[in-house]
Amino acid sequence: MKEVLQVQGLSAGYGPLTVLHRINLTVYSGERVGLIGLNGHGKSTLLRAIAGLTDWQSGSIQLKGREIGGTRSQSAGRNTHRIVRMGLSLMPQGDALFYGLTVVDHLNSGAFTRSTWRERAARRERVLEIFPPLRKLLAAPVGKLSGGERRMVSLGRGLMADASLYLIDEPSLGLAPSISKSLIAVLCQIDLKEGAMLIAEQNLSMLEGKVSRLLGIHAGVLKGGADALSAASLNGFASAAR
Amino acid sequence: MQIDPYYVIVTAAMLASIYGLLAIGISIIWSSLGLINMAHGLIFALAGYGAWAAAQYLSAYGPVVLVAGIIAGALVGMLIGVLAFLPLYDKPNYVLRSLIATLAISLLGQQFMLTAFGPRSRPLPPVFGRASFHFGTAVVSAGQLGAIVTSWLVLALIAAWARHSRRGLEIRAMMRNPEGAALVGIGLRSTAMAVMAVTGGLAGLAAVLLSQTYFVSPFSGLTPLLKGMIVALAGGLGSIPGAIIAAVLVGLIEALTAVSIGGQFVLITQFLFIIIVLLIRPRGIAGIIETVRE
Repeated sequence: MKEVLQVQGLSAGYGPLTVLHRINLTVYSGERVGLIGLNGHGKSTLLRAIAGLTDWQSGSIQLKGREIGGTRSQSAGRNTHRIVRMGLSLMPQGDALFYGLTVVDHLNSGAFTRSTWRERAARRERVLEIFPPLRKLLAAPVGKLSGGERRMVSLGRGLMADASLYLIDEPSLGLAPSISKSLIAVLCQIDLKEGAMLIAEQNLSMLEGKVSRLLGIHAGVLKGGADALSAASLNGFASAAR
Repeated sequence: MQIDPYYVIVTAAMLASIYGLLAIGISIIWSSLGLINMAHGLIFALAGYGAWAAAQYLSAYGPVVLVAGIIAGALVGMLIGVLAFLPLYDKPNYVLRSLIATLAISLLGQQFMLTAFGPRSRPLPPVFGRASFHFGTAVVSAGQLGAIVTSWLVLALIAAWARHSRRGLEIRAMMRNPEGAALVGIGLRSTAMAVMAVTGGLAGLAAVLLSQTYFVSPFSGLTPLLKGMIVALAGGLGSIPGAIIAAVLVGLIEALTAVSIGGQFVLITQFLFIIIVLLIRPRGIAGIIETVRE
């Protein structure tokens, strides 16, 4: 198996605050990894650090063998677009939508590289097959959409790219249980090809049995490290943390 | 006193097109770069000098002068981007610092123009010829007609470009959510420079068009900056349709005020209009026309 993502000794945080403490993590191609942790324990920070969006960070992050981390102490997001162009797709918490723009604008904006922009119609079609409810809403501004539809737009925008690593931050956040279940089921069916997917989630039962392996994150430290962790042992961890 | 409706229409259309070109630039810069560009008037004045220099040393042929003004405007816009946006945008208190930076650039630029070109006003050669037309009871010069037609044509082109091109989508995305834009691979710095070039080009076009009736001088950018700024505010900063509607209304008010109670009251009525708009709709005219907003 090829490593898509290799994180070594990653610490990151905001201002004087250290959120992540020397994290090691490897994700292999074809894998779907669930990252389980409670609010405020560093799930989002880990995903944002990989995308270069934290205030500062140190340690190594390699995407397909290319260094995207290193020590950095200022200017959050300065390199994010470059990392994204190297094959990262982060679907952030809160969706980061462009309010006022239409659904089709959002999907097109996901096809940012010159080559994907040319085949954006075909890519849009593929995303619409994954999220059929968006088909009727293509011309609607995203402000008019429901929470579930907005999440679909955010995920769909992320899926428009030719990414080798998909980072998905709490796809179930703020949605009705039945909707979040179906969204996660859809995400777990997507053909990853050579790529990999990392899903951060608060709710263990949402991911149990659907992903290749589960990792726990607690107080900025990964539980289980880079090794696979059985759902059973995580269960104990999650309920203890609760 | 008798008000000539044709004269009012021509004057209002002329003013609206100039204000529209400037206000849209200010509005786009604010919403995509978060920069209140106090040097927008400087772009206007320097582009006027660029066009004048082209007419003087290159060729007085209309299109050459027009293109020279646009290119000069785009270059000055990018220079402001290099000086006031790139070094500051990721620093704390960016909005205030960049406001001060553009103000400083504007003052320095004015002194530069005074030193380099002298206080004397310079005329531009007529770009659209010297013919004049009759519109009802009013006489329209070729310069005025050309200015109105050209600016609305360019505005339509810009709107279509923003809607359908990849660069346009990048700019619109950045206007709405810079972090979301970075997450889809849009480079903030390069997109910002594109924004400065396009809006600078618009200001340069406005400079050449207005100089068909006025002169180019070191301080000729001051009034356009002020008017462009209030039109952008009344339209709702960040809204292109809002800015266009506000430009038409403000132009109409200026023309009506000038013919009915006198030109010295123009600023008073314009500011009254903007105060009333902002009292009713704090987000400007965009607050009325946009149905969804988050």
